Amino acid sequence: MKRLLYAFAAGLAIWLGLARPAGAEDRLLLLVSAESQLTALSSLEVHRLFLGLTVVVNDQRLHALRNDSDELMRRVFFQNIVSMSESVYDRRMLALTLQQGRAAPTVLNNTRAVLDALAADPDAVSFGWAVDVERDPRVKVLRVLWRR
Amino acid sequence: MKVPAIPSATAVLAVWWSVLAGCASAQPASDDHANHEQPGKELVVFLSAEAHNISSSGSTETLNEDAWFAADIVLALTRDRFRLFGEYLLTTEEHDLERFQLGYELVPNTLIWLGRYHQPASAWNTEHHHGRYLQTSVTRPSVELWEDEQGIVPQHIAGLLVDSRRPLGESAGLQVSVGAGLGPRIEEGKLEAFDLVDPHESGRHVSWTARLAYLPDYAGQSSFGLVAAHHRIPVVDGSIVNLPQTTEVQQDVYGAFINWYADQWKVVAVVYDIRIDLRGPGTSRREHFVAGYLEADRQLPNGFTAFGRIEDSGNARNSTYLAGNYPDFELRRFIAGLRWDVRPRHAITLELARGETIRARQNEVRLQWSAAVP
Repeated sequence: MKRLLYAFAAGLAIWLGLARPAGAEDRLLLLVSAESQLTALSSLEVHRLFLGLTVVVNDQRLHALRNDSDELMRRVFFQNIVSMSESVYDRRMLALTLQQGRAAPTVLNNTRAVLDALAADPDAVSFGWAVDVERDPRVKVLRVLWRR
Repeated sequence: MKVPAIPSATAVLAVWWSVLAGCASAQPASDDHANHEQPGKELVVFLSAEAHNISSSGSTETLNEDAWFAADIVLALTRDRFRLFGEYLLTTEEHDLERFQLGYELVPNTLIWLGRYHQPASAWNTEHHHGRYLQTSVTRPSVELWEDEQGIVPQHIAGLLVDSRRPLGESAGLQVSVGAGLGPRIEEGKLEAFDLVDPHESGRHVSWTARLAYLPDYAGQSSFGLVAAHHRIPVVDGSIVNLPQTTEVQQDVYGAFINWYADQWKVVAVVYDIRIDLRGPGTSRREHFVAGYLEADRQLPNGFTAFGRIEDSGNARNSTYLAGNYPDFELRRFIAGLRWDVRPRHAITLELARGETIRARQNEVRLQWSAAVP
């Protein structure tokens, strides 16, 4: 019976280990260019920035770059950063253009492009998985946005 | 307003859109600028197609917003603090440059606009403009109709607009919009807004409009507020039907509105007090009426949304101005409908209505497809 229990426990551990994505994907980081003067950004400011409102911190007019690299990141963006469903967000962005003549935040669908864009623009703000960004000297991590 | 297909108008239009397209494709002056300016552009086309059946015991005129196809082309360009915005509406009934504005962001979320804009004292139109996909119902309330659709309140102004959203406390906000610019004239009995493509500015007066809204959540959509507008509208051809000696119509609008979003619910409630002063040589006739509406939308599973709207008015039946010039203004109307968001940015809506105008009662059935592309 004990052997059976050990075997079950081992099987469960292996299954859980396989079911989880890479460990480094567990942290979604808020990023700016390494040259940016920005040292902190509150959740409210991040929320407003990705809803298309103008956010100015230390005389820097920030630009939101939405990283849409994978499905989990997309889910975290809608649930934790803008706190609304994808369809509601989409309507908000259409209304933003129609009502205020504003362009919605730029959407990039791979982290490499996000890192390049951040490196080129000291006012840009984005996010990415720790495993993809931590070793890139061109960007600075402001804080952890989400962890599993 | 319908734009006649004359070469000069087309040429002016081509210039306007060339400016927009040129700005859209323009490159930054230098790499250094490129690092800090982050130009943004957004091109959205709102499409809709509609089939309808309207039974009326009196009116023979085609009702408003019943073009079977409409394309609303919206282009927004952002470069640092500058904005350039255009909205061009193309339907089977008309084509018109509805808005064209150049804006500058004075301080964060406070913009000053120059150009032709939608006056901020309309609770409905400042939310939906001409983008039919963004409104749940097929029709807009009668009191919110555009000038060229038998609308009774001026909606397009050409001049200056200041639009500001300021934080209030930790999370709330205050939105203030104030506009002043050339208002409409009355020609052939209808309001004729200032047209940038085919301008006829003579005789027009400055219209004033304002909106003050409290936002419980600064970044949210719910708002509660007040609106006001003042218009002096010259009558160029003696076309006030019941008082042909009228040379000027003064219109004052005072209103209150609620836009409330909560989970699956959206409720819009609006009431306007409209005061009309019909002036002519040695004559003046004052009248006023109240018009408003309440719409509730409820999201259901599987992309469905049920909605209902009540439009009502007080004293409008006694208005000489409405009776002569706007006999199809809906004194009251009840609407029920179902919208189905079939797939992202595509919706099909069925709307049933029972309305009463000064001269008729009618039943309306509408089926609409609406979309936003890309």
